[in-house]
Amino acid sequence: MPSAISTWIRAQGLTRGFGRLRVLQGIDLEAAAGELLLVTGHNGSGKSTLLRCLAGLMAPQRGTVDCRVAGRELDVEARRLAVGFVSPDLELYSELTTAENLEFTARLRGIGEARGRELLDDLGLPHDRLTGALSSGMRQRLRWAWALLHRPKILLLDEPLQNLDAPGRRDVSRLLEEHLDDGLAVVANPDRLELPHVARHLDLDR
Amino acid sequence: MWRDISTWTAEVAAIFRKEWRCELRTRYGLNTVGLFAFTTLVVVSIALGPAGTSEEAQPFLPVMLWLILLFAASAGLPRTFVAEEESRTAIALRLSARPSSLFIGKALFNLTLILALEVLVVPLYIGMLQVPVASVQPLVLSLLVGGYGLAIGSTLTAAMVAQTQVRGPLFAVLAFPILLPLLKFAIEATIGAGSADPVLLERSSVALKMAFLYDGTLTVAGFMLFPPIWNP
Repeated sequence: MPSAISTWIRAQGLTRGFGRLRVLQGIDLEAAAGELLLVTGHNGSGKSTLLRCLAGLMAPQRGTVDCRVAGRELDVEARRLAVGFVSPDLELYSELTTAENLEFTARLRGIGEARGRELLDDLGLPHDRLTGALSSGMRQRLRWAWALLHRPKILLLDEPLQNLDAPGRRDVSRLLEEHLDDGLAVVANPDRLELPHVARHLDLDR
Repeated sequence: MWRDISTWTAEVAAIFRKEWRCELRTRYGLNTVGLFAFTTLVVVSIALGPAGTSEEAQPFLPVMLWLILLFAASAGLPRTFVAEEESRTAIALRLSARPSSLFIGKALFNLTLILALEVLVVPLYIGMLQVPVASVQPLVLSLLVGGYGLAIGSTLTAAMVAQTQVRGPLFAVLAFPILLPLLKFAIEATIGAGSADPVLLERSSVALKMAFLYDGTLTVAGFMLFPPIWNP
C-alpha cells in the first residue's frame, strides 16, 4: 500500500478455522480510503469470520492484519476501538432506549452526546423507545447509528442491509457514500449488492 | 497523562452508570441477591434461634454471616459478564471500551451491590440472632475489605466463566480457590467485632491487614488477567 495513503487495511495469508473445520485459508485483501471492498460467498464461507478477524474480535491462526488510520499504524486493541462494525451478531442493550445506548457509547468514546441524537434523526429512529421494543429493521438502523457514532475511517459491515426496507436502504446507502469520502468500507454479503464505489471484490467461494 | 486518567475515569463512570441503569430496570441482580440472602437469613435464624446469647455458638456466627454473603453474591454476581455474552452485547462492549475501564466499572458495580447487600443483611443478622457487637469498627472494616475482595474476585471469575459453555457450575468451582483465603481473613477479622478480648482483637487486626493485602493482590491480578480473558 503506498505510504501516501493515510487510511488502509490489509490482510495477508489470513487463515482461521474452528477445530478441524477450515473456514478461511490464506486470504489476502486490501482496501484504502475511498474504496469499498465487497466480500461475497455462500453461507458458511467465512465472511463473518473474516470481518471479525479484521475488527480484531478474533485472532487469525495464521496471517496478519495491518491497518493504518489517518497516517497512524494501529495495533489490535486500537483497531478494535477504531473500526465501525455492523453485524447481525451485535446487539445493543434492550433495557436502554436508543438514545441511552448511543449516549453510553459516546461517553465511552469521549464524544459529545449530540452526535448520537443527530444520527438517530438521520436514520429516522425514535430517541426514547426501548431498544428491546424496536422492530428488526429499526434495530438494524440503530446498529448503523452505533457504528457511525465515532466517525470511524474503517467500516466493517456484515450483511448491512439485512431487514431494512427501501427507505432504510436509501438512508444507509447515503451514509455509506458520505463515509467513503475519506474512509473505507469492507462489506460482507451472500450476494452482490448495489452499493456505491465498489472498488474491489473478494469472492470466498472461489 | 492527566488527560488519559480523566478519560479512563469517565469510561469507568459510564460503565458503572450503565450497569446500574440496566439493573434498576430489570432488578435481576438485586432480586436474586436480596431474596437469596433474606431466605437464608430466615432459615438460619429459625434453625439457630438467638445463637448470639450462647457462648459456644459465638465463634461460628461470623462464619455463618460470611457464608450467607458469599452464597448470595455467588447467586447474582456471575451475571455481570454472562448476561453480556448471552444477550450478544459483549461485541459492542469489546469494540468501544478499554478492558481496564470495563473491569473496574463492572467491579465497582458489583462492589456497590455487595455493600447494599451487607447494609440489608448485617443489621438483620445481628438483630435476629442477637449477635453481640463489642466494637463496631472491626465489623465495618471487615465488611468493607471483605466486600471489596468479593467484588473484585467475583468480577474476574465471572469474566472467565462467561467465555465457557458450562457457566452455572463453573463459577463456584473457579471462585472457590480465589475467594477462600479472603473468606478466611474476613471471618477472622469479623470475630474481633464480637469480643473485647485483646488477643482476639489483635488476631482480628492481623486478619484485616491480610485481607487488605489480598484485595490488593486480586486487584493487580485482575488488571493483568482481565484483558486476555476478555479478548481471548
